[in-house]
Amino acid sequence: MLQYAVKRTLWMFPTFFLITMVVFTLINLAPGNPGGAEAEQQGGTTTSDAVRLFKQQFDLDKPILLNTRWALTRGDVRERIVVAHRLEGRAPTPAQLIAAKDALADDGNYLVQHLVGLLAEDPAPEIRALAADYLTRSASLPFVSERIGDPTAARDENRTRGAYNEAFKGWRCADGDAACLSDVTGKWQAWWEKERPRYEYTAGEKAWAFLFDTRFANYWWKLLHLDLGVSPNTRIPVLDTLLSKMKYSVSLSLTAVVLAYLIAVPLGVYSAVRSGSRSDTVLTIGLFVLYSLPTFFTGTVLLKLFADGDPLTWFPVGGFQSDAKELPVTTLGYLADVTWHVTLPILTSTSVALAALSRYARSGVIDVIRADYIRTARAKGLEEPIVIVKHAVRNGMIPILTLLGGFLPVLVSGSVVIEVVFTIPGMGSYLVDSINGRDYNAVMAVLLASAILTLVGILISDLSYALVDPRINLD
Amino acid sequence: MTDAPRPSPVPAPEDPTWSEIVWGQFRKRKVAYGSMWGVVGLFVVAVYAPLFIAEKPFLWNAGDGWSSPWLATIFDRTVYPSGIDLFFNALLVFGTLLAIPLAWMWRRTAPLPRRPRGLVRRRWLTGALLAWFLSLAGALAADLQRGEVYYEELEARLEKDGTPPTAVWPMVRISPRNTDVTATMAPPSGKHWLGTDSAGRDVFARLLYGTRVSLTVGIFAVAIYCTFGTVVGAVAGFFGGRVDALLMRIVEVVICIPSLFLVLAVAAFIPKRSIFHIMLIIAVVAWTGPARLVRAEFLRLRELDFVASARAAGFSKAQIIFEEILPNAIGPVLVSATFGVASAILVESTMSFLGLGDASVPSWGQILATGRATSSWVLILAPGFAIFVTVSLLNLLGEGARDALDPKLRS
Repeated sequence: MLQYAVKRTLWMFPTFFLITMVVFTLINLAPGNPGGAEAEQQGGTTTSDAVRLFKQQFDLDKPILLNTRWALTRGDVRERIVVAHRLEGRAPTPAQLIAAKDALADDGNYLVQHLVGLLAEDPAPEIRALAADYLTRSASLPFVSERIGDPTAARDENRTRGAYNEAFKGWRCADGDAACLSDVTGKWQAWWEKERPRYEYTAGEKAWAFLFDTRFANYWWKLLHLDLGVSPNTRIPVLDTLLSKMKYSVSLSLTAVVLAYLIAVPLGVYSAVRSGSRSDTVLTIGLFVLYSLPTFFTGTVLLKLFADGDPLTWFPVGGFQSDAKELPVTTLGYLADVTWHVTLPILTSTSVALAALSRYARSGVIDVIRADYIRTARAKGLEEPIVIVKHAVRNGMIPILTLLGGFLPVLVSGSVVIEVVFTIPGMGSYLVDSINGRDYNAVMAVLLASAILTLVGILISDLSYALVDPRINLD
Repeated sequence: MTDAPRPSPVPAPEDPTWSEIVWGQFRKRKVAYGSMWGVVGLFVVAVYAPLFIAEKPFLWNAGDGWSSPWLATIFDRTVYPSGIDLFFNALLVFGTLLAIPLAWMWRRTAPLPRRPRGLVRRRWLTGALLAWFLSLAGALAADLQRGEVYYEELEARLEKDGTPPTAVWPMVRISPRNTDVTATMAPPSGKHWLGTDSAGRDVFARLLYGTRVSLTVGIFAVAIYCTFGTVVGAVAGFFGGRVDALLMRIVEVVICIPSLFLVLAVAAFIPKRSIFHIMLIIAVVAWTGPARLVRAEFLRLRELDFVASARAAGFSKAQIIFEEILPNAIGPVLVSATFGVASAILVESTMSFLGLGDASVPSWGQILATGRATSSWVLILAPGFAIFVTVSLLNLLGEGARDALDPKLRS
């Protein structure tokens, strides 16, 4: 048992790694530009400095999983410049144009050696001028994160890098002006002689770049430092927001799950014991109806019935507690206020869980009640309540007990729909808000938190199954 | 020694096949059998919706001869901009036409013995399907565009001029997409049976055409992931060993991915998302279910004698997997597919409710979201009821099918 538990726990780590990989790839592959909103604010030019910095800051200029940019040739780079600036009579489609411009902006340091080559040797003066122009951006060093390691050292490093980058900002020409070009070429040549080793990659550096100079590797590097990134919109660390949202979701879902179990088990047992009777039929139909009603429908109807004044206004229309002004000061008053607010959401999520749970409870007990040992128990003269409670229910509850593990992710992430319908500021609404705000870091964080809980939930299910049912041997 | 028995002129009754047994069991379950007809009814509503609600008259004569604007615009992208509508309209026109010879053939072949009957029916079905696809392709290629005449206004004008046209109209003359800015949030009336939404669109029309969207999402998403999951499960279960271990590791990973969250996140990051994206996303997270079911069945079946005999007969691996074992392993997949359609419909309506669906098609979840925003009972109850009925019917059907497949419950 212990051996099995340890083995399963250890397996969780590679599984988690693969989950992050799949989720990360899917989210990043979904067509849609993460820096899009920022780019629009900057007048739609994706090459502007602010956008470039934004992309660097959130690693959006890097390839997602694998980096093959060291394999670029001078011909590729020239081709991109030609397309991006409609030279040599090219008429690219808008998509090709944007792709070429983005590639020139994103590939950064990997372009330097080819741009230097183009600047020195290309026959077309306009290409040489553009190469110099791109060099002023590509050769600049990216800033390091100040959130990992020693912040003062990182700040100092960034100051040095900033000064370094500033130095060659002016080494470019407006157009193919020959005198200017030869002057600029000279400056870059001198710089290149000095900096050459940094931009000519050895096999080892190529291998390192292939695997680790990527969005995913950077994300994991930060994740290992428990850094889930900051929100690009508010600049607040995602982890802080996540933790502050969790308390709403957890308190809500925990109450709902406990309530659902408290109601579902007796209901299911009663239904199973009276199996085939009229009350069983009514209960089964009622629970089936509840089971088929979508959450957002139940929630909306409850809201309209009891909060919107059509016909009743017993409860508030949303939120977790009253505004700070009206919030009672005493603990008891505060609790009453929160209860008043969360009654409807809890009712909704309880009803959803209840329907599924009591169906499981009923079928669990029905399976057991036909077993031989129940007949034996009755035959040896035990009273019916004891037979049911001690013999049937205990075994019939095994399937529904193991479902508890499955509730763990729901517990913490809360139900998106319920939180949106009742405007509760929990993790579910956080996810929807982050999605609408294109906050990739926050979306990843919510997804990963939920994935960890699912993993733990499955583990708990399997282990509890083995603990409760002696017939199951896991070793 | 007696004479050898003479062949009797009446063929001996055939033993029932597995599918006939299951069908017999299923018919005994009245609720599930009724639900099946309910689902068929939903399909009829989806396919024949333009017969009840359309903005063009079936027949029109303004003194210049008879025409049928309804039929002329049935494949018109200006009148039915969504691919789903074109698909269902093709079912409506060509499907109905093809159903007549098929029904005739079905009747004719009923007395035949099983084998030739199956052969003939399969051939006819393939032919019909091919004919249907060709017709659909032809209709799409023709790219008809005749939707620019607004017959309702024309009729009013002609009546004012004193030359009323002769026209045969559908029961409700409206399109689910047309907006009437003068009548937003109108209460139910003779013109708008369930009133209008906040953009002035007819709710009844949207509800009816929403059946098309829901059924399409449900069925296509499930078809995609069941096909993929079945192939993965079949390969894992048949080959076992390392292949199985690797595939099951992948399945485990996908199971742990919080699916609704991922669906919402990915959907939101697609700029011009269509209903087809939504089906694909649902499929990406849901294929593990059928994969595990099929794998379990394959692990059990591959040890049985009929597989050994197929091997001995020199069948290829693909033949053994897909022709020998798969037909015996498909039952549980069909049951889970039924539940899958219900849950895919729920996922789609949840996405639309949260504003992450395809805004260009009428969807029940989107109507309900409008209802919540405007606090209107009709807009909440009507789509809620539609979703509830569809999901319940599918769940009841699935439960019936599950029980019918279970040999322990056979009576």
